[in-house]
Amino acid sequence: MYKLFLITIIIISIPSYGMDNHGNHNHSDHHHNHQHDSNAGVDGSLTQLDEKMYQQFISDINDGQVAIVDVNGMVCDFCARGIEKTFYRDEMVKKIRVSLESGKVLIAYSNSKKISFEEIAKIFLDNGQTAVGFELRKL
Amino acid sequence: MGIYNKLIIFFVSVLISEITISRPISWSGGSTFMYKSNSMISSYYYHFSPSYKYSLGVEYINDRYFNNQYVSLKSTYLLGRSNTKFSQGNLYFTGGLSTKSSKEYYYGIHGDWETRRWFTSFSQLDKNTSTHDYTEREIQLGFAPYLGEYDELHSWIMLKTKKDTINDNWQTYPFLKFFKGDYLMEIGTKDSHWDFHYMIRF
Repeated sequence: MYKLFLITIIIISIPSYGMDNHGNHNHSDHHHNHQHDSNAGVDGSLTQLDEKMYQQFISDINDGQVAIVDVNGMVCDFCARGIEKTFYRDEMVKKIRVSLESGKVLIAYSNSKKISFEEIAKIFLDNGQTAVGFELRKL
Repeated sequence: MGIYNKLIIFFVSVLISEITISRPISWSGGSTFMYKSNSMISSYYYHFSPSYKYSLGVEYINDRYFNNQYVSLKSTYLLGRSNTKFSQGNLYFTGGLSTKSSKEYYYGIHGDWETRRWFTSFSQLDKNTSTHDYTEREIQLGFAPYLGEYDELHSWIMLKTKKDTINDNWQTYPFLKFFKGDYLMEIGTKDSHWDFHYMIRF
């Protein structure tokens, strides 16, 4: 029983050996797609954003820019706690909203912040998740 | 083998395995504090993750049954991680060394895979004490009866089964896991005793 279970888990884990590579792979693959224009979609994998959630998120923000990040591996609340903690280290981050259901994280920055997908992806990688795409909206 | 030695190994194995495999690495720069208590021992475990790839920890153990107190140094290394839209899988190498004797140490692998609804994990640890060397294997299965959103209370119904090469029989028992925010709690019962595990991340 144990051996069968062990084999199953290892098979499931096989793609993981490219974890870092996987993250970096996405990182480089999407690099050329990045656009920082208002309301620009930057990645084909970006799933539909719940506009109601977005409107609620920006309801108390007067100006700035919002990065909507598609995140893989964000399945556990307890494991995602570091996302807020590490993003808030940046003084230009005004607000964060994590949605486990949609696999998205909304990050509101001040206007003076030069947003880089590479920087965002690195923070997610440091937290154990993989950022696979993002969209930037200016308020 | 005497019952005394079996009891020592049993309690040490329970202590090491259950604490080691629970969220063994935090985010880069993150810390975790754990407290565990059961009918025989209590322990305080702190680990720090300089990187998302590994953690370093120290644990103070109070063995009330044998009136023994000692400190153990531990480390866990992330061998690989698989992130998909709906799941995460991890494979770790872990090891520890008692400060009381260089002959008391353990090492092994631990893997887990989870979605928002299901959780599975396994571990195999080779343990060496001053009197015996043995292997312990463990499997956990978990089910979330409802899907909580971020910042809500999350509840899991868990089942754990474990076996070591000394007793050579599987022991299976249920427990409940709850977490909200930075706090996690596990509570279960085994052989008419309550096991309690508390964790905070910061």
